[in-house]
Amino acid sequence: MKVRLIVRRWKQGWTRPRYDVFDVEADPEESVLDLIERVSLSTDRTLVFEHACHHGACGACGMLINGVERLACVTKVGEAARKGLLLVEPLRGFEVISDLAVDKSRMFSKYPAETQTLEPVAASLEKLYDCVECGVCYSACPIANTYGEYLGPSVLALAYHRALSDGVVPGSVAGSGGVWACHAAFDCSEKCPVGFKPGEKIMKLRRLLLGGRVKVS
Amino acid sequence: MTAVSKHVVVIGGGVTGAATAYDLSLRGFRVTLLERGSIGAGTSGRTHGLLHSGCRYVADTEVARECYLENQTLRRIAPFLFEKNGGLFVAITEDDLAYKDFFLKKCGEAGIPVEEVEPAAALKMEPNLNPKLKAAVLVPDGTFDPLKVILSFLASAKRCGAVVKPYNEVVGFRVEGGEVRAVRVLDKVSLREYELEADFFVNATGAWANKVASLAGLHVPVKPSPGVMVALDGRIGNRVFNRLNKPGDGDIIIHQRGTSVIGTTSWIVEDPDGVSIPKEHVELMIKRGSEIAPVVSRMRVKAVYVSSRPLVGQAAQTGREVSRSFAIIDHSREGVGNMLSIIGGKFVTARLMAEKMGDAVCERLGVSVPSRTAELPLAPYWLYFS
Repeated sequence: MKVRLIVRRWKQGWTRPRYDVFDVEADPEESVLDLIERVSLSTDRTLVFEHACHHGACGACGMLINGVERLACVTKVGEAARKGLLLVEPLRGFEVISDLAVDKSRMFSKYPAETQTLEPVAASLEKLYDCVECGVCYSACPIANTYGEYLGPSVLALAYHRALSDGVVPGSVAGSGGVWACHAAFDCSEKCPVGFKPGEKIMKLRRLLLGGRVKVS
Repeated sequence: MTAVSKHVVVIGGGVTGAATAYDLSLRGFRVTLLERGSIGAGTSGRTHGLLHSGCRYVADTEVARECYLENQTLRRIAPFLFEKNGGLFVAITEDDLAYKDFFLKKCGEAGIPVEEVEPAAALKMEPNLNPKLKAAVLVPDGTFDPLKVILSFLASAKRCGAVVKPYNEVVGFRVEGGEVRAVRVLDKVSLREYELEADFFVNATGAWANKVASLAGLHVPVKPSPGVMVALDGRIGNRVFNRLNKPGDGDIIIHQRGTSVIGTTSWIVEDPDGVSIPKEHVELMIKRGSEIAPVVSRMRVKAVYVSSRPLVGQAAQTGREVSRSFAIIDHSREGVGNMLSIIGGKFVTARLMAEKMGDAVCERLGVSVPSRTAELPLAPYWLYFS
């Protein structure tokens, strides 16, 4: 199919962003990420975007595709394009590094020093949390977009899991930048590419705190 | 000579480059890492995600042992990165079953602890395995999120003062008097070109190593070898599923986070940029995967992707036999004395590759500081962003 790929471009030192148009031939079954990568290799090597695993496991390629937060690697061109148009922009809620790449330190810097990465699934079996740490929920969240101090949906959802296993959360989680800042829009859960349900987990953590079933360190 | 007075540029932000930057900066070198795209955007990010037990390579005892030892080292220095659930090698056909005795004998020779379990017990452990399986062997496999492993190496390197520059592509070399003086770099964040001088250069670009070296008029005998992988929308087990037989197409299913991935195939290409995915490979993965776990045929495919291994070509006369599985290419025979390239290996052996590369760099620069990456804990990946 013929696709008009429109990419929001921004480079260090520019006063305003620019939208570039690439008219390309694409397979409706291929991923938006593969298409962007092909354009970067064949047409414009300065196109900056973040990607690694190409199968929805690492969270690097979160971006806005036709206005909606998605992982580009698991979004098919044929399903995302509207009348042959594909508009890609960087995630909201983070500072743009360049073009489609954003600085996710806002999320990762909020991790407690003793972050848990694994959860038990059965006797002597463990798995990494389903959250792929892509930042999609920060972009979807109306609070994260306007309130810089907000810990953010994924960090609070991980804190909920810690609360269940340890019975305790850090003071920041119970503070004004923590679970009480959430407005229950649930767009984090709506847009989460792996069904991690941060919105629901924030509500559950509130109930645990209100019921005194979780301590604050 | 002290390491701290020497600046080393590492080209390539995959796991080998990241581990090399960490090894060198831990020894005290000033390190700058350059990557043309984002971190892990080449081969490493697209790896299967298998923390190899080494059992897949038992035909070559030395390679298998090397893999197993690195598997143990990584578990020790960064337990938080890995799902340490082990794996199962399963025999589905009589042909698979005929391979079992050889397999068990070779695992013993390589020093890999494995344990045969009854088919019924294996099915109880992993209900999605083929109910017709004839034999099962437990092995010390694991799985990981590739990007997070690379970022942990880089976080550790940054803690030792290394500078990490993604979106900075090497577009040329300045070679004078038998030495690389500087690399020309295109910074895609600010759209400017600049020169970066250093005392020593490491080309850790894997499947791209020859493309990069040719910018300096040098040659690296790498054979880019892509493999296709199919990711399922769902997780069908906890322990890695391996087909008990000689390495072949579609003989592994790994589980990580909420996904299971079937892999893989293998062919040779000239250029690792823009490899297209043969449709028949995808069909083959699903067919072969279904033989191991019938549920595969009923799952939705979430993604199909391809990753190019940096295989060592026959022409690799390394001058130093560091390992049978990877090679360090010395460019002094081509008239450039301060650059080394590294190819081959596996994601799991990247730390060891970096250690050997570090040894080679030290030897060249007359620095005698040992590698310490096997004993110190890795910094967690989230510190890369701090």
